[in-house]
Amino acid sequence: MNLTLVLATLRQRFTSPIRILIVLLFGWMPMIPILMAPRAGFAALGDCYFLALALAAGMIGQDLSSGTLQLLLARPVTRAQYVFSRWGAVAAGTFLITVLQTLVAALIMTLRGAPVPWGGAALLLANSALLALGTAAVMALLSSLATGLGDLGLLFLVFISVQVLEKIGMFKSWEWLVRGAGELLRALKPELDLAPYFHGGPVAWLAVVSYLSTVTLCLGLAVVVMNRRELSYASSGN
Amino acid sequence: MPPPATDLPDGVPPHRAGSPRRDPVLLLAVAALLLMLRVVLGFHEAPPQPAPPTGALSGADAVQWRTLEAGLAESGATNRPILYDFTAEWCPPCRAMQRQLFADPQAAAEIESRFVPVRVLDRQREEGRNAPWVDSLQARYQVNSFPTLIVAGVDGRESRRIEGFMGCDATLGQLRGPGINLRWGGTEPAPTDRR
Repeated sequence: MNLTLVLATLRQRFTSPIRILIVLLFGWMPMIPILMAPRAGFAALGDCYFLALALAAGMIGQDLSSGTLQLLLARPVTRAQYVFSRWGAVAAGTFLITVLQTLVAALIMTLRGAPVPWGGAALLLANSALLALGTAAVMALLSSLATGLGDLGLLFLVFISVQVLEKIGMFKSWEWLVRGAGELLRALKPELDLAPYFHGGPVAWLAVVSYLSTVTLCLGLAVVVMNRRELSYASSGN
Repeated sequence: MPPPATDLPDGVPPHRAGSPRRDPVLLLAVAALLLMLRVVLGFHEAPPQPAPPTGALSGADAVQWRTLEAGLAESGATNRPILYDFTAEWCPPCRAMQRQLFADPQAAAEIESRFVPVRVLDRQREEGRNAPWVDSLQARYQVNSFPTLIVAGVDGRESRRIEGFMGCDATLGQLRGPGINLRWGGTEPAPTDRR
């Protein structure tokens, strides 16, 4: 990972007006229920999936379509470093917003005289970190395949297709199809709930392995796809 | 269109040379290994089994209660939400719910078709402590009274909560309906049972 690239990505993401707007919408709307029911804990914050999508959309594709990538890779940076830096920056940015959200929510609870469930906050942050890393990995792969904001379109297309497959599997009672579609759906939103482990519950190995498999596979494939892209000015018609 | 300029020797694919385009072989190997492990674990998931006997409450149930592990696996595989039944032997409304709802074959069939049922039996009063997974689930879903039915999606998020028991039809109606939380005079654990 390249720190300069990470910081540049964060700067790029946090200076985009439309992204700021979306982050404000998804990041601060949950404060309303917390203001109204401060004793309900952090549940109203939900997860950071849409925040991660807002920051991740076009993470590589926009550099491809704008021609920035050709200039960027003229520097001594490997393509793998570029992909990992983009991934790390998006995940870090998402986690940063979640930390801010949690702190503001805790402040609201304190001001309203409600006890702050710090254990719940730690669990929320840990789960958010994993979801941010997973979502950023999936978007890195999709973004390496499509230019511009095509990664969002790809995500939507895959999501709808898998849903249709799942329904067909249910209708035809094809368990293998239902199960395969379920796995694919989980891969589109890779998350790992740490709640059972916080309370000493049993380790769900399939969930752990599924999460790690999705993240490593998406990142590996994203680098492979990027390595095979020709980025000369002659081929920049994409 | 001229080919892009490259300083690599002839015949060396850019992604294989010691260039900025080297493939992450180690990462791909780990990913492949994890993928294989994922498939193996997926195939070796235990099929849903009825929970081991848990006392009088489970004696005449028409509902086939899953163990937590089997329930989670089945919920993930079938995308059906889990119906957690937080209950206790000593609680009269729980026993009424068991007799009227879970022992009824028709109600049980409907529950089985919509949900993956998992019973979470509290043994605090009888044995002085619960199994860790019971404590964990009670803490997670903030269960303070019995009976409490919680419907949780594949991701573990609570989508419906029914506290107390007001009859078979009313409970089934709430389980069929939209996600709202209800509280009907259930039995609160004694102060020593609270965590």
